Amino acid sequence: MLATIVYGFTIGAILYFFSIGLSITFGTLQIVNFAHAMVYAVGVYLFITFLPWLGGVYPLAAALAVVAMIPVAYVVERFIIRRLYGESLDYAIIATYAVLLIGTDLIKWIWGTLPQPVRDPVGAYIQVGEVDLPVYRVIVVASAVAVFLGLRVFFKRSIIGKIVVAALEDRDGVRCLGLNVNKYFSIVFLIGSSLAVLGGVLYAPIATSEPYMGFHILLVAFAVVIVGGMGNLTGTFISAFVLGMVIAITARLWSPAADTMVFVVMAIVLIFKRSDTQE
Amino acid sequence: MSAKPTISESSPSGAKKGRVLLELALIAACFLVMAIFVRLYWVVDFCIFCILVLSFDLLYGYMGRLTFGHVLYYGTGGYVASLVLVHLSPNPFLAIAVGVASGTLIAVVLGSILVRLRDAPFALSNLAFNQIGFWLANAGLQDYTEGEDGLSSMAESIGFLDFTSQPVAFGFMLVCMLLVFWLLRTFTLSPYGVMVRSIKENEERVKFLGYSTYFYKWLTFVVCGSLATFAGTLYALYYGFVAPNLLNPFGNIEIIFAVLIGGAGNLFGALAGGVVFKLMSNYLATAISRWELLMGVLLLILVFRFKRGLTGYAIDLRLRISRRRAAEEA
Amino acid sequence: MGKGKRDLLDIDGIEVAYGHAKVLHDVSLRLDEGEMVFIVGRNGAGKTTLLKTICGLLKPTAGRIVYQGQDILGWPAESVARQGIRFVAQEKKVFADLTVKGNIELAAYASGEDVERAVNRLTELYPRFDEFLNRKAGGLSGGQREILLISRALVGDPKLLLVDEPTEGLAAIVIEEIFRILDEMKARKVSAFIVEQNLSVVSQLADRIYIMKEGKIIREIREKNQIAKTDELEGYL
Repeated sequence: MLATIVYGFTIGAILYFFSIGLSITFGTLQIVNFAHAMVYAVGVYLFITFLPWLGGVYPLAAALAVVAMIPVAYVVERFIIRRLYGESLDYAIIATYAVLLIGTDLIKWIWGTLPQPVRDPVGAYIQVGEVDLPVYRVIVVASAVAVFLGLRVFFKRSIIGKIVVAALEDRDGVRCLGLNVNKYFSIVFLIGSSLAVLGGVLYAPIATSEPYMGFHILLVAFAVVIVGGMGNLTGTFISAFVLGMVIAITARLWSPAADTMVFVVMAIVLIFKRSDTQE
Repeated sequence: MSAKPTISESSPSGAKKGRVLLELALIAACFLVMAIFVRLYWVVDFCIFCILVLSFDLLYGYMGRLTFGHVLYYGTGGYVASLVLVHLSPNPFLAIAVGVASGTLIAVVLGSILVRLRDAPFALSNLAFNQIGFWLANAGLQDYTEGEDGLSSMAESIGFLDFTSQPVAFGFMLVCMLLVFWLLRTFTLSPYGVMVRSIKENEERVKFLGYSTYFYKWLTFVVCGSLATFAGTLYALYYGFVAPNLLNPFGNIEIIFAVLIGGAGNLFGALAGGVVFKLMSNYLATAISRWELLMGVLLLILVFRFKRGLTGYAIDLRLRISRRRAAEEA
Repeated sequence: MGKGKRDLLDIDGIEVAYGHAKVLHDVSLRLDEGEMVFIVGRNGAGKTTLLKTICGLLKPTAGRIVYQGQDILGWPAESVARQGIRFVAQEKKVFADLTVKGNIELAAYASGEDVERAVNRLTELYPRFDEFLNRKAGGLSGGQREILLISRALVGDPKLLLVDEPTEGLAAIVIEEIFRILDEMKARKVSAFIVEQNLSVVSQLADRIYIMKEGKIIREIREKNQIAKTDELEGYL
């Protein structure tokens, strides 16, 4: 049972890393960004490629992958997302989905369709009671908590964070002070994208990577963001872990239903939640 | 808003009916011509797909709601119809009836919850239910649906209606498609259609006037779901085989693509888009290996350059020609 | 009179439409440096639209907006602001999720001014704000918010202020506070266009008055004795 709980938290952590960017982009730009999954997947594949080049030094390859994806995320933001400002949602969904399609096909083309496993970089276990817990998973969960706290500090203390918080509420007010709101939203877009890549990289040793991995996590992430509230950072944190736990527990009881149960939970939440998603 | 003639002020109903009949005849003629030049079974496929696209366009183009989970109904129709044929009776009409009823029921229930939602949550929540349906077909209800292996079925012939005969099947599907087109044409020209379009333009104003927009949104959702289910039952009857991929949520993108190509909010656009998309995917999928890459690029071009699709382009062209003519006459 | 005062802002023939509905018709105004000019008129006359057009939030379909000799028509709001123009909106919307200090901080960062100096200027004028500094701005009362907004707008010593209905919805005592700020601004020769319906404030502070009706400027009042005639002005509200 303990192993299941740790697994639930681990999945929750990964979901959190991925969903943050989605939630922020929706909160700041009102755009549902399918291309987020492309940045995630390509980032992971780059990581897998860099790993052997860097002698298997995991943190180095991870850092390099995150850094390498920043220009890619920038291109997506500059040429796709920015063109979607003010457009109706449908076009945003279609355009960003198109980017995801292109990215996935490129992955298949460059790296092939075979799944790519990655070894657990820590490989050590700690004994809690009768269970051997992978230290690696504990690290993953701790990282998610650290990022959550870090983001809270960022949005509360840093000037960029404050500008974004202000702009989320009163965009015109910020503009009338002479600040280019789009520039700051772009910055947080890059942050969100980098966190997604980080999440993917952390996930790579836990589950094998394959070209459609972006699609799979994207669907669950949508559930996370809807349940947690689009643009609500604390809500995203909580719902990511709750849904991660749902996946883990369902996987234990009725394995094939694991991912799908998340949508059942989302449906239940939708039926009872009557606040900001409503007309 | 500029002064537009209200529905009651436009052409008297006799002339209207005549016009619709003419349109139907024209469409039938186009499809028959296509059937001569293109493989017949492709054109049957066009008909079924066009019904699906029409059902989607009512919700997306006319009412302005994007759902990313429409194929849930398509697949439901396919599977329920197949199950009826296999377990209950080989009567195709029973299969269609039960199939459509089941899809409608699902739309009634889901619609009541989902229609309250706005843009993104609406689109994604539909996607979530689609995903649940997909999983049910693949794994959850595997004992009934045969999971990945797919479900085969066989419909009996009723009179001359033999689905194994290509020309007969084609005739039947064409008639079905024309029927759906006529139904939607009547809907959109009726006060109901005005209501739906008004909701797209300015829902607050409609609510202000005292209408329950919830009811009309729900009704539209149910109609669209039913029609998509209908398309699914036809699929099952024609191919005699359904697989979980029918419910794959990413199949929704094909429908959206078709609607964009043809031009949203226009029934002719839905037909045109459906046909063009199917033609493209049939020819290109065999010719080009990186088909998904191409589709992604085409989608991007469509969204950023040709938002209004073929019909939008056609309307612009007509405007330009008439303006030029007016300038020449001046 | 000596050398003529320099034209700070010269607006000529502005037309603004919302869709098909025209909201401003051939509007022309002028502001000299150091002037405090009030814009008076009934609700819906287009006063807010005019201010929003000048600061770049709305785009006119015709006309010119010449600021310090440069045509800034069609410039985005952030570029206009960087030229030293500040707009205070009618809704009294502060950055509610930030602290009072945070609000000032943003303004200081945007105009390159030292944060501490900007904060000190605020607390010198309003010692009470010293205790509010770390409170969330959303918790302030209407009058306090207006004070914060105007102070925020004054950070970085802007050349031109556009203020929309500063005393609207405020109690008489608070209006006196706002009057004090505006009076102080006038003494410091801050150039401003102020939309205002409180004629007592208008008549005491205005160098000139423009009267708007249904999207047009119908009258300009320049003489001091005319400005004092508040009962006549009443007729235009």
